[in-house]
Amino acid sequence: MSDLLRNSGYRAVSLAGISFLARPRIVLACLGLAVIVLLVGLASLPAGSFDLPLPDLLHTILRPQEASSEHRYIVWDIRLPRILIAILSGAMLGLSGAAMQSITRNGLADPGLIGVKEGTAVMVLSLIIFLPQSAVLWRPVAGMMGGLLVAVLVVTLARDMSKVRFILIGIGVSWFFSAALAIFMTTANIRDVQTAMVWLAGSLHAATWPLVIVAFVWLIVGGALLYLTARAADVALLGNGTAIGLGVRLQAISFLRFAGPVLLTAASVSCVGSLGFVGLIAPHIGRFLIGGNQTALLTSSALTGAALVLIADTIGRLAFAPLQIPAGIVMSVLGVPFFLLLLWRRRDRL
Amino acid sequence: MTAASIRHKQPGLSASGRASLAFVCTSSLLVALAILHIGIGARFIGPQTVVSALLSYDPTNFAHKIVVDLRLLRLLSGIVVGAALGSAGALLQSVARNPLGEPHILGLNAGAALAVVLATALGGTWLAGPLGRPLVASIGAATVFCLVIAMASAGRSGLTPIKATLCGIAFSAFASSLTAAVLILDEQTLMDLRIWLAGDLAGLTYPAFGYAAGAVALGMGASLLLAPYLNVLAMGDKVAAGLGVRVVLVRTGGLICAALLSGAAVSLAGPVGFIGLVVPHILRPIVGNDMRILLPLSAIGGAALLLAADIAARMIVAPQELATGVMTAIAGAPVFIYLASRSLR
Repeated sequence: MSDLLRNSGYRAVSLAGISFLARPRIVLACLGLAVIVLLVGLASLPAGSFDLPLPDLLHTILRPQEASSEHRYIVWDIRLPRILIAILSGAMLGLSGAAMQSITRNGLADPGLIGVKEGTAVMVLSLIIFLPQSAVLWRPVAGMMGGLLVAVLVVTLARDMSKVRFILIGIGVSWFFSAALAIFMTTANIRDVQTAMVWLAGSLHAATWPLVIVAFVWLIVGGALLYLTARAADVALLGNGTAIGLGVRLQAISFLRFAGPVLLTAASVSCVGSLGFVGLIAPHIGRFLIGGNQTALLTSSALTGAALVLIADTIGRLAFAPLQIPAGIVMSVLGVPFFLLLLWRRRDRL
Repeated sequence: MTAASIRHKQPGLSASGRASLAFVCTSSLLVALAILHIGIGARFIGPQTVVSALLSYDPTNFAHKIVVDLRLLRLLSGIVVGAALGSAGALLQSVARNPLGEPHILGLNAGAALAVVLATALGGTWLAGPLGRPLVASIGAATVFCLVIAMASAGRSGLTPIKATLCGIAFSAFASSLTAAVLILDEQTLMDLRIWLAGDLAGLTYPAFGYAAGAVALGMGASLLLAPYLNVLAMGDKVAAGLGVRVVLVRTGGLICAALLSGAAVSLAGPVGFIGLVVPHILRPIVGNDMRILLPLSAIGGAALLLAADIAARMIVAPQELATGVMTAIAGAPVFIYLASRSLR
């Protein structure tokens, strides 16, 4: 048995009394991906409407006390939170897409595609408009309630999540809620609408440190939920009967695996607005690059998602400077061809 | 045709009797909605005054002036746009053999909007004017529709509703994000097209209305000429070819008509969705699949539905107004969900 494991690339690792199996190839690949994300982040730091040469930049990051206040402001208050929030929200969307595709066994599933984004947006907007004094911290909580409600509605309407019909019904539901959103936008106070529009377009330029912390906390919560159930999800892929026979509590696991992605998507929408297609694309790229079991897929998908959002935001920031294109728009221009590619590969079966 | 009418024949009324009854009902509904539509507003005008203003116009009467000078154009545009969208939906459902066929879902609206925005941004004065806009919008709609159909027809399973819908949604998303990007980059275009893009009937002019109505009339006439062949096409490509119908020619003709109709509608009112989805599905159980009846009836029904949506858009949050497209989406999205869960097992 241990030879079999060894031959398929597993190594036993023992750390501080806990021992587990790991595959060095996948660990290395994930580390490589993480390094790429960091490098992209670093590369996008110096560029912008105010050019900051690399030596100055490093000096400002490493010794903030000695840098000029102008440099400190640009790096620490504008660019760093923006890049961090891009990484965090991309990771959230990547995680949620990977988990959603595995639980629905549907390669086209993405919580963002089935109306979770719009449901979240309706709830967050009601919060912004009706309770403007409430703290930023409450937005993800309200958004999650909205997102979860919409997700439950879509599942109830579609009944079977593995069919493509599930996606279509989700799209119909998202149309309905985006029309509801439009009612808000036309009737509410114009100043509230402006605040809301900036946030809705999936633009990262409003990033602040409190928002980064909120995003980080929810990433940890949602990520923990998905990673802790990852092995059970691997077993569940063998089929429902087998999984129950092997001791998986299928209903509890299914609920957690379904709530996790919705939670993460809603949190990311509440922090940065709607960023489409990340949850759809990231798992496919992650699976293609690294593969492996559920844990590896979650990790690679999260890292790919982070890289995607970072790249999209950098393109939107620099391509037409000084004008900025919201990352959400860049993301859907990049994402649609990929979606069409996925459709093309399923052309004989749909 | 005959097969369809036999299938739908029931004791009581013959197929032609049911069709004429449906014509009478939808037309009188349209007239009633038109009188109500023209009456409501900041100042309510009673039905009798509206009718007398239209039949015997008196320039000294203030209410008559409101009706004819301010509200008539909006009413006429609503009728033309609704008729175009309704018949475009019936055409698309038949040509693409897709119960979910509809200009908004198959990407025609987004393509038309992108084409108009691009033409305005690139500064073609002739292209962006009232004469050019229906043409540009139709070309944009046709281009996107061709891409959708080409992409969806690939593969062994052929042109299935689910592939057509997913491709339409994808191309729509692509075109709308390009539209949004152009509008962000070019402030002048945003200023010019802001009202139009919301899918609204406010702020129109008579020349724009005239050209769009001409395009709609052209598309409607051509699609009525095509209707008998479309009926044969509904029996399947092979049967139709065996009966002497040139399948490719009829398909292409239907496609061009649908693009012309939805392009003209979009050029006038901006992207308004779901009219073409809802109306043919309501009418088909009543009058059957005969396109010669279904097409004109869908036009009348589409006009009535659009007027109803426009009335609701102005009544619900009065004195403010909602965009007409928002109302049609709120009514149409549940219909889409229902159809998607029924027709795609």
